[in-house]
Amino acid sequence: MLNIVRPKIEIRRVSKAYASDHGPVLALRDTDLAVGEGEFVSIVGPSGCGKSTLLYIVGGFLDADGDVIIDEKAIMGPGTDRGIVFQEYALFPWLTVEDNIGYGLDRQHVSATDRKKIIDRLIGVIGLTGFEKRYPRELSGGMKQRVAIARTLACDPAILLLDEPFGALDAQTREIMQDELLRIWLETQKTVLLVTHDVTEAVYLSNRICIMSARPGQIIEQFTVDLDRTRPREELVLSPDFNTIRNKVWLSVRRQALAAGQQNVDPS
Amino acid sequence: MLIRPEAVSAGAARLIGRMSPLVLFIALWYGACSSGLVNSEFLPTPTKVAAALADLVSGGEIARNLFVTLFRAAVGLALGSICGIWIGLMMARSERFKAYVTPIVGGTYSLPKSALIPLFALWFGIGNVTAIAAVFLACLLPMIVNTYHGVVTTPKVLVWSAQALGTTDRELPSQVLLRSAMPDIFTGLRIALGFSFVLAISTEMIASTSGIGKLIFLYGENGTYDYMFAAIACIVAVAFVADRVTLLGMHRLLRWHESAAADYERRRL
Repeated sequence: MLNIVRPKIEIRRVSKAYASDHGPVLALRDTDLAVGEGEFVSIVGPSGCGKSTLLYIVGGFLDADGDVIIDEKAIMGPGTDRGIVFQEYALFPWLTVEDNIGYGLDRQHVSATDRKKIIDRLIGVIGLTGFEKRYPRELSGGMKQRVAIARTLACDPAILLLDEPFGALDAQTREIMQDELLRIWLETQKTVLLVTHDVTEAVYLSNRICIMSARPGQIIEQFTVDLDRTRPREELVLSPDFNTIRNKVWLSVRRQALAAGQQNVDPS
Repeated sequence: MLIRPEAVSAGAARLIGRMSPLVLFIALWYGACSSGLVNSEFLPTPTKVAAALADLVSGGEIARNLFVTLFRAAVGLALGSICGIWIGLMMARSERFKAYVTPIVGGTYSLPKSALIPLFALWFGIGNVTAIAAVFLACLLPMIVNTYHGVVTTPKVLVWSAQALGTTDRELPSQVLLRSAMPDIFTGLRIALGFSFVLAISTEMIASTSGIGKLIFLYGENGTYDYMFAAIACIVAVAFVADRVTLLGMHRLLRWHESAAADYERRRL
């Protein structure tokens, strides 16, 4: 069990309103959340609840009322301490695989030898040796997302922000990618904030799951997941412990979805 | 290097295939002249034009005038492109700048720029400056409009990813925005390239003492239509080559783009 001694990320009374044709829409209302160092926290909720919005605010991409505090300092915008991976990969299409991974290193003027060392290691980690000179358009969805993860890891951010990173992948690829992410997290012990609508994914990966209410979003329930991550997937997923917590989370999300008049939560 | 004979004959067959519409065009032209359908005083036969072309090319006059025209077109195009890209980028990045520029761009977009040539001649006199100014103005608008569109449609996740990877606001245009806009910028450049020839030549017809435009105008005035057509053929050939070079550059620079390869194949003659 992880104790939050010193929160790595603190979200304090964050509210966000969007302008629309019918007046302002409140996406988030007084949201609070603290994430400990090295913790893997998932945010699950019905679609349109503002969970991605919350992640973008932590990333510093969107302005909001309230404070986001990283290492006891309020953020002023995006920073290399927070790496982000989007569902739509967001690779630079004009750069090859190795130049995409090296992009952040180039911004920091890392020397050519160090750059090459880091890229070679990460290409090995994501298993794309031989694809260094390919452009993103020549890669499959799973390969693109591996490159996006490697590009983020190259800058060695303390925090990973993941916005439904495997949402566009097929079921088999998604499971492989989840296992890779779990392995990377166990090795690097980074602080991870994951937004997903896949309950099984959240339970499989996180220490803690936060359930968000329908709009305006607020974290209304939290579940601690205390499972042994080193067990093989099939054993873990089929275990009674896993399913007990999965069912609890699913019911909680479903209540929110029904409250929002939506029934589009994937029960898988 | 070994060249396979079947590759050569396939290449030759493709070349013949491509040339056949041109051959047909010349045959129809010849037919129209020799049948008396049109007065050969006003439409000289292809052979007469070819003879005039040979005469023009062997003399230094055509090369000198071609150089003058190309210089004016190239300088106007370069200045118009640089300014157009900058204005388009600024419009996409600053709401205030956009609010100032949009009425001017919108108001002058459909104005035929050649209508301003007499005014430019009055301001800048006869010669290079007037021609370059007219070309500049004509090239500016397609570059602004296409760059703006390209920058504005840059996916926000690309900008955010770049920022999270340490890209500063100053680096953003060169590292992300203009690269993402590159396919649109090239579309604008091809349109501007066409405009640059049109404006350079029409300015020379009205307000110049040199250039291909002036040459065409003079031959027309004198009624030496075979030489006029020969001069037109020269500028058509040069414009065609310029467009192919642009296309080749586009293909090279946009190798990463999804549709670039297909686009290139489709547009190539």
